[in-house]
Amino acid sequence: MSTYLCYIPVQQERPTRAALEVLTHLRALAHRDGAQLAACVLHPEADRFVEALKPYGVNRVYLVKHPVLARHLNAPVLAALEAVFRAAQPALMALPSTEAVKDVLGALAARVGAAALPDVSAFDIGTSVTATRPVMAARVLADTETTVRPVLVSVRAGSYEARPAESPTEPDVVEVPFDFDTATLRATLREVVTGATGQVDLSEADIIVAAGRGVRDEAGKQLVEALARELGAAIGASRAAIEAGLFPASLQIGQTGKVVSPTLYIAVGISGAIQHIAGMAGSKVIVAINRDPDAPIFNIATYGIVGDLYQILPLLLEEIRRIKAES
Amino acid sequence: MKLCVCIKQVPDIQAPFRIVDGRLQFDVERHVLNAYDASAVEGALQLVEQHGGTVEVVAIGPASVSETIRKALAMGAERAYHIEADPSGWDSATVATVLAAFFRDRSYDAIFTGKQAQDTDAGLTGTMLAERLGLPYVSNAVGLAYEDGRLIVTRQGDAGREIIELTLPGLVTISNDMNDPRIPSIRGIMQARRKPVEQLTLSDLGLSDDALRPQTRVTGYRPVPPRAPGRKLEGEPAEVVRELVRLLREEARVL
Repeated sequence: MSTYLCYIPVQQERPTRAALEVLTHLRALAHRDGAQLAACVLHPEADRFVEALKPYGVNRVYLVKHPVLARHLNAPVLAALEAVFRAAQPALMALPSTEAVKDVLGALAARVGAAALPDVSAFDIGTSVTATRPVMAARVLADTETTVRPVLVSVRAGSYEARPAESPTEPDVVEVPFDFDTATLRATLREVVTGATGQVDLSEADIIVAAGRGVRDEAGKQLVEALARELGAAIGASRAAIEAGLFPASLQIGQTGKVVSPTLYIAVGISGAIQHIAGMAGSKVIVAINRDPDAPIFNIATYGIVGDLYQILPLLLEEIRRIKAES
Repeated sequence: MKLCVCIKQVPDIQAPFRIVDGRLQFDVERHVLNAYDASAVEGALQLVEQHGGTVEVVAIGPASVSETIRKALAMGAERAYHIEADPSGWDSATVATVLAAFFRDRSYDAIFTGKQAQDTDAGLTGTMLAERLGLPYVSNAVGLAYEDGRLIVTRQGDAGREIIELTLPGLVTISNDMNDPRIPSIRGIMQARRKPVEQLTLSDLGLSDDALRPQTRVTGYRPVPPRAPGRKLEGEPAEVVRELVRLLREEARVL
């Protein structure tokens, strides 16, 4: 029986939503093809996450436990994924397309001799593995297929919906032996500099308030932050807003930043350059607030308001507070 | 420090194009240096300007790639290698195979690549190359410094900026967020004409057709399905905002 394997990164003590989305799709394919559905977790205390995977119909969970896996560093993650790959011998391994996955996907493919389909928005398994890849800053979709097996595929967040299985499973738990000598590391992690703390994580958020060039100063930034707080939203930014120094680079959404697909995306003072749209066009509902009636963001916005954000945002805050008070 | 930057010539993705029978057709064939690779060249030049050394570049492609090579030389690279080949139909793995063959008998302190190419947005070649060469690497670099024989590389990770000490030789894939690549000066453009460009063929690198078989292929291109047309709300600001919130609650049901 062939195995379809899903890599499950964990964040803030639980599997990421993006990983559960991929797992849900892989489960449907495994059911159709009579394949075994396997998942893997890399974490110093990986056992803790088995429970969270049971509702998703997983047949087997591979765990790699080592202190070095507490923070991302490519060499140990690569070695751990290789160990799981060799233990599971999957026909296909799917991974959510996070920055950590982008950091190792090519190297892992080269190491295990697999074909790699990066950053896809859909994939299927037939005689070959086929995938849809947004390319050229997501202006075009490329239908792509593999000519060899096994296959690694990384999937953009929001491509599928995460849904528990009809009935939970009691998976086999396999701990993969993993000796990693940190003395051999030729690249070492000195520190991780995080941006503002306590905020909702962008790639996991249901609602995002994103700031663009139109947010010119501290007052504008505070309006964006107040709206995000009121909505329980994550804050994102376009490259222009980050270059203006108002927001940390970790909040960048776009071709070179994060790709997000929340339920609601509120673009504040964002013109809608193709590089930005590449990172958010998958959002379910898009609201655009911009002074320039010709801004390209209005072409993709579900609802657009042509107006000054410094005037609109206080009104919007007030209105949201009013309806919250009513309900 | 001896650095080599892998550069790619890509179609100008901002240019108008059509999709005819699953194939991409640009209205005007305009090719540019991949923007991420331009940042990689800039990052390399800044390092050697501060710490001494040389920057070389390598590109794969047909004769027309020489234009892109001249651009990198005009920015300040000292020497270039042009691997003449028709890479149409190749995937990242093929490119990594060719580059690995190129680097096998050459010695650099560090190899730089752009973090991805603007046309394919795949982002695989750099880390595949590092793996083939057995080099430690850092991807998605947004900052670079040199200290005591090591590179201190800042990369943008999921949770924040990861600051990594990379022993050399090593490989770094570079984000366009690291810098704004310089525009070549007239003097740089003049000098580039006299800089050495060594031509290589695939057989010079000992590569057979068999080794170049891609693992993935594009079967066709499609336009992105358009989003359902949206609505512009116009009128007095307070009213427009009230209407927006009503629509978000009652029509879109997202609030």
